[in-house]
Amino acid sequence: MSSSARQFGELATQLVTESRRSSATDTLLKYNDVLVRQIVREQRQLEALIQAAMARLAEGSADGELNVTPDVLLYQTAILRNKRCLLAYHAHRVERLKDMYWAVGGALPLLLAAPAAGSTAASAGDVRAKLSPHEVDFLRAYNDSLRDFRADVLAGEELDLFAPISRPPRDLHVLVRVVRDCGVIQTEVGAIDFRRGQRFLVRRSDVEHLIVQGYLEEV
Amino acid sequence: MAHYDDDGWGMPAAGPSRARRDTAMDVDDPPLVARAADDEPARAPRRVDFRPPPPSAETPFEQLLRHWMNERHAPDVLHAQEGLLARLLDHIKKQTDDVALLRADPDSSEDEHFRIMLVQTEAERARFALRAYIRTRLHKIEKYARYIVETPEMRERLTQAELEHAQRYAALTESHFTRAVLDALPEEQRGLDDNVPFMPPMISRPDKTRAVFAHALVQCPPVHLPDGSSMEMERGQISLTPYHVIEQLLARGEVELV
Repeated sequence: MSSSARQFGELATQLVTESRRSSATDTLLKYNDVLVRQIVREQRQLEALIQAAMARLAEGSADGELNVTPDVLLYQTAILRNKRCLLAYHAHRVERLKDMYWAVGGALPLLLAAPAAGSTAASAGDVRAKLSPHEVDFLRAYNDSLRDFRADVLAGEELDLFAPISRPPRDLHVLVRVVRDCGVIQTEVGAIDFRRGQRFLVRRSDVEHLIVQGYLEEV
Repeated sequence: MAHYDDDGWGMPAAGPSRARRDTAMDVDDPPLVARAADDEPARAPRRVDFRPPPPSAETPFEQLLRHWMNERHAPDVLHAQEGLLARLLDHIKKQTDDVALLRADPDSSEDEHFRIMLVQTEAERARFALRAYIRTRLHKIEKYARYIVETPEMRERLTQAELEHAQRYAALTESHFTRAVLDALPEEQRGLDDNVPFMPPMISRPDKTRAVFAHALVQCPPVHLPDGSSMEMERGQISLTPYHVIEQLLARGEVELV
C-alpha cells in the first residue's frame, strides 16, 4: 500500500482544515473532489479491514460470543471520524452557499451566472466553477422551497423577504448610482431606464433588490 | 374606509382629517385590546396558554418587536404568531392603499403630504421588522429542520408554511448528504443518525441550557433553578438564567428576552 505511512484520518483532518480556512478568510473554496474521493477510498479500506477482523474473531470463538479486540475499535473509530468529517465539510459548504444566496437577495441566476465581464459586484465571481454538481442542485431546490414558502406566507408583494435585514430603513428615498445597466424599472414615479453612470433619487423599496444584487450603489 | 387611531397601531394613520378619523374609529375594526381579550378565554389557573396576554398598552407593532427580540435571543424556535403577522400585514396593505389614494388626490395639502410621508416611512419600518422576524425564524427552522420534523412538539409551534419548508429542507439536506457522501461509502456506513457514545448526535437540536437575559414584565411565579433552589422574579427585574428555566414564563409572555 502506497499510503501505508499515513495515519487513518489524516486526510479527513485536511478536509476539515479547509473548511476552517474558508470560514477564516470568508471565501468559498473550490469543492475538493479529489480529497473527498481519497477519503471515501480510505473508508472502503477500513471497512474491508474491519470485516476481516470481525471474521477472524468469529472464527476464533466457538459459542458465537465475540471478544472485540482493540484493532476493531480502532478501525471503527477511524471510520466514524472520517464520516463525520466528510459530512461536516459538506454541511459547512451548504451553510456558506446559503449565506451567499441570501447575500445576493435570493437571485439564484445571478449567483450561478458565469462571471460577467467588467462587473464589480462581489457576487459575480466564478461561483459556479467552485461548486459540485450536487451543490448546484441543492441551491436550486432550496430556492424553489423558499419561493413556495414566500408564496404561502406573505401576501404577495406586501413584503420582500429577501431585502436586507441588517439595517432598518431611515429614509423613504435613496440616492443611487447605477453600476450596471439594468433596463427599465417600474417605480413609484413611473418607469426609469437605469443606465450605467447615472444617478437617481428613488424610493428605496422600489430598487432595494437592485442594490442588493449590485446593480445600483448607494451614494 | 380604513382609518385606525394612532395609538392602536403605533403608526400614524393615513387619514386626511381628524374628524373623519374619529368617526371611523367606531365603525372600523374593533380596537385591538378587545380583540386580544376575545382570543383569550378565561384562563384556568395553571393551564399553559401559549398566547401571551399582551399588556393592554402594547400596540401590535410593539408586540411584533417583542416577539422578534424574543425570537432572536431564544435558542429554541418559539410559537408562531400567525394572527399578529396577518393583522399587521393587513394593516400595512390598507395603509399603503390609502397612501396611494391620497397621493393621487390633487387637493391634499402640504401638511397632509408630510403626514403621508410619515406613514410611508413607518410602513417601511414595520415591513423591516416583519421580515427580520420571519427570517430569524427561518434561520432557526433550517438549522434544526431534521429535529423539528421528527418532534411533534416542535411541529406544533410552526405555521403550516414554515413546517412545509422545514420538511422540504430536511429532505433536501438529507438527499444532498446522501448523494454527495453517503452513496460512495460502504453500505454499513450510510446512516445519517448514528448514535455514537462520546460524539455529539448527528441531528442538532436547540441548546436549551444556553444563558439568556430575561426581563420580567409582571410579577412571575417561582421557577426552579438547575441547582434545586427556586427563583421569583419581581416585575422589571432582569436575570441571567439558562433558557430552560424561563421557557414557560416566556411562552406565557410573563418575561421577555433582552
